[in-house]
Amino acid sequence: MSEPSMGMAGRVNDWGLRWREARWLQQPALLVGGGLLLAMVLASLLAKQISPYDPIAQNLSNTLQPPSPVHWFGTDNFGRDIFTRVLHAVQLDLQIGVLSVLFPMVVGLFLGSLAGYLGGWVETVVMRVVDVFTAFPFLVMVIAIIAILGPGLTSMYVALTLAGWSAYARIARGEILVIKKAEYVQAARALGFSNLRIMFRHILPNIVTPAIIFAMSDIVLVILSTTSLSFLGLGVQPPTPEWGSMIAEGRPFIMTAWWLVTLPGMAIVLVGLGLSLLGDGLADVLRTEE
Amino acid sequence: MEPILEVRNLTTQIPTRRGLLTAVDDVSFTLHKGEIFGVVGESGSGKSMTCRSLLRLLPSSARTVQGSAVYRGSDLLRLPPKAFNQVRGREIAMIFQDAMAVLNPVHRIGDQLTEAMLAHRVVATPAEARARAVELLRKVGIPAPERRLQDYPHQFSGGMCQRLVIAIALSCQPQIILADEPTTALDVTIQDQILKLLIGLQHELGVSLVLVTHDMGVVAQSCQRVAVMYAGQIVEIADTVSLFTAPKHPYTRGLLACVPQLAADGEVLPLTPIPGSPPDLVHPPAGCRFHPRCPLASEECRHGTFPLQQVGQQHVSACIKHEELGLLS
Amino acid sequence: MNDLRAVPPILEVNRLSKRYVMNAGFWQQLTRRPPELLHAVDDVSLRIAPGEIFGLVGESGSGKSTLGRCLLRLVEPTAGQVLFKGVDILQLPRAQMQGMRRKLQIIFQDPYSSLNPRMTVRQMLGEVLSVHRLCPPHRVEARVRELLHLVGLPADAVDRFPRHFSGGQRQRIGIARALAMEPEFIVADEPVSAVDVSIQAQVLNLLIDLKAQLGLTMLFIAHDLSVVQHISTRVGVMYMGKLVEMAPRRLLFSQPRHPYTQGLLLAAPQPDPFHHSTRVALEGEPPSPLHPPAGCRFHTRCPLASDRCRQAPPPLQEIGEGHWVACHHHDLAVWPPPAVTPWAA
Repeated sequence: MSEPSMGMAGRVNDWGLRWREARWLQQPALLVGGGLLLAMVLASLLAKQISPYDPIAQNLSNTLQPPSPVHWFGTDNFGRDIFTRVLHAVQLDLQIGVLSVLFPMVVGLFLGSLAGYLGGWVETVVMRVVDVFTAFPFLVMVIAIIAILGPGLTSMYVALTLAGWSAYARIARGEILVIKKAEYVQAARALGFSNLRIMFRHILPNIVTPAIIFAMSDIVLVILSTTSLSFLGLGVQPPTPEWGSMIAEGRPFIMTAWWLVTLPGMAIVLVGLGLSLLGDGLADVLRTEE
Repeated sequence: MEPILEVRNLTTQIPTRRGLLTAVDDVSFTLHKGEIFGVVGESGSGKSMTCRSLLRLLPSSARTVQGSAVYRGSDLLRLPPKAFNQVRGREIAMIFQDAMAVLNPVHRIGDQLTEAMLAHRVVATPAEARARAVELLRKVGIPAPERRLQDYPHQFSGGMCQRLVIAIALSCQPQIILADEPTTALDVTIQDQILKLLIGLQHELGVSLVLVTHDMGVVAQSCQRVAVMYAGQIVEIADTVSLFTAPKHPYTRGLLACVPQLAADGEVLPLTPIPGSPPDLVHPPAGCRFHPRCPLASEECRHGTFPLQQVGQQHVSACIKHEELGLLS
Repeated sequence: MNDLRAVPPILEVNRLSKRYVMNAGFWQQLTRRPPELLHAVDDVSLRIAPGEIFGLVGESGSGKSTLGRCLLRLVEPTAGQVLFKGVDILQLPRAQMQGMRRKLQIIFQDPYSSLNPRMTVRQMLGEVLSVHRLCPPHRVEARVRELLHLVGLPADAVDRFPRHFSGGQRQRIGIARALAMEPEFIVADEPVSAVDVSIQAQVLNLLIDLKAQLGLTMLFIAHDLSVVQHISTRVGVMYMGKLVEMAPRRLLFSQPRHPYTQGLLLAAPQPDPFHHSTRVALEGEPPSPLHPPAGCRFHTRCPLASDRCRQAPPPLQEIGEGHWVACHHHDLAVWPPPAVTPWAA
């Protein structure tokens, strides 16, 4: 409606301005989500202090104990403390989630921006390849690629990047087509800036926002699919503690020892909740900045 | 002159991130039967919001917190929804700036024209509605009306769409039409056609028209009386001739001095801009809202409220120093 | 206006055209249907002398904006020449054109979309100065402040983002950005149509001051005749891609000879309650630019149209000192028209 007048803006001191800029502090979703994740990471960093048990060493005399004050989440079929394993897995699972979104995002943004900015045959080629990649069901493609490369963390990253980049390429191209027409991009051309400078200084920063917003919801899905990959035995290999493989290993005991599957599952839910809250809050902050 | 709509103390607020924004602040005016009443102001002055408050077409967060708008003995702002819908569209119609956006792209314009007539039971049968639709299209100057009833909005130009919207507004023979910047989106020659169409129709049908605009030229060419709005408030109301020849508010005077005018000999006078920018309506300046930009401002302008007061026949102004205006060069 | 011809023009446009190919999609290619052409700018020639403000008016779709952008090669023209100080910039290879852009700048209409929302004023202006090495690095800061001062913005504006400014202030930033290049020629593309009336005068006065102070030459594009009258030394009127009339300011407004110019003048609502007419200034609407009428493009709306107008397009010819008109019947176009009171003298 109304715009702040020169007088107003002039009177606001630097700190006042910074405070109003610090809108992220006023987003409850962002604070709760961020707090949750932070707490989990801290707990995992302090895992050795919190819990006396070893996450890998087996204790066959103490298998399948139900949750108790001694073993908060019970023990698994090898007698390992499940709470300790869940804690130790936080870092790995978050790292997998972040990296498996970051790689496809970078690749997708780069190719999509190139397609959108240059147009012509580059655009045609890139977007048709995108079409081909989106035509495959996500998980089927990931499994196929891992099957070729052999199971393991690296092949999982490669597979998730190959399967996930096309969505980011689409977002980037769509946004660039809009921003390319914005007058400030025309202005940058009129100011005689090079294509590279226009692309990196004037266009990319303005399309990163929607990509990040998408990535925040994507990260949850990716963690879920990496856990399913581990569940299928294609991801992280035992005995490394990882939630997906823990659930997979606990499956035979689901009727007799529910805690083997349920409690690592809860950890996934909690991370997912934290991430989506964080994503929502971040989306609000980034959107209102425009 | 017989009043047809009396608006008193209308106040509309919008909550924003930064605080409560008072878009329309204690606005009062009277619309007379059969006149064209101009409401002029810059963006953010509250002129459109005033119109929308009257028809309860506000954005969802905005609230009209105070005031009344009495039409035929009932207060529009307090009518129950069902009774209000009988008035809106039928007795009081609205014309918007963006005609293309008002028309539904998936319906034939014949259907859009007859819809309101049938809904308000202005006509008894679809055949009658159709006959009246043809007559309306002819009246607003759309050629070959029988054929065009079958067309879709995208087949019309911007100017023709605005004619259509006017036809729809007229379809239920309203008493009052609120026109919110009806010509702003149009080219000059088309704007001229639409304005003259509106003036002609108003003469012919005797409806009362509230014309909201930012253009002093449009006001001078079409209105009998004018209200000038600044920062959510009406600062001056006068008949058009008095307003343009002897403005009694420094803002009005400033507006007139900064609008470039065509001169028949092609010679131009330098423009005198109003310094500064309009205030932030979340934190408006205390006292008279125009004082930070006013050449006459003194200590007394910085505090208190400034209600409209009589300064001439049919002429009210909110400025306590209006007498000093003549002393300015 | 003899002096205008004596001085070599700073910018000369010769027979410039811009055609857009419409509907050249797959289906059209398959059916071998000839693609439709849209003549946005059609065979326009004009010269602008140093120090002039050439006003270009026209309604939407007249091609005035496209013409302005062709001059800077923001839009590549289809045919014609644009000579800047005698050099045809349309023939310049990319690298040399980048250098030429320093001399030719543009101010945009929309103060909201023409500034990058993620850059502060300092970054925006600093980028221009450092990329083109317009001043040594240690002087950048001082030059930025100098530019802000020049366009009347407070010094504490440097660290703010565009969203902190009002429309008028943003327009000033846009002007400062163009001025940072120290251009010799500026295309101002409707710089005041998106700002409020009380701010419009501020921006116009700023441009007039800057012109006097820096000796700028400007192509000022607008749809509002009163604004153009106010700022220009010479004025051109466009209709459907054609230049239909061109004259020094005083002549164009006191003795317009093209019926379209006359219609535009009569249609512009004047802030004067004593002079108004109930007659419509110009009937009808512009025809589709995809199928422009044969002959004179204005004949479908022209009160003077004859058979000749329907067949032969009128050439732009000089009918008086510096007064060019493209109308077969310019001698019949009476001004002021009888029975219509024009605006106040």
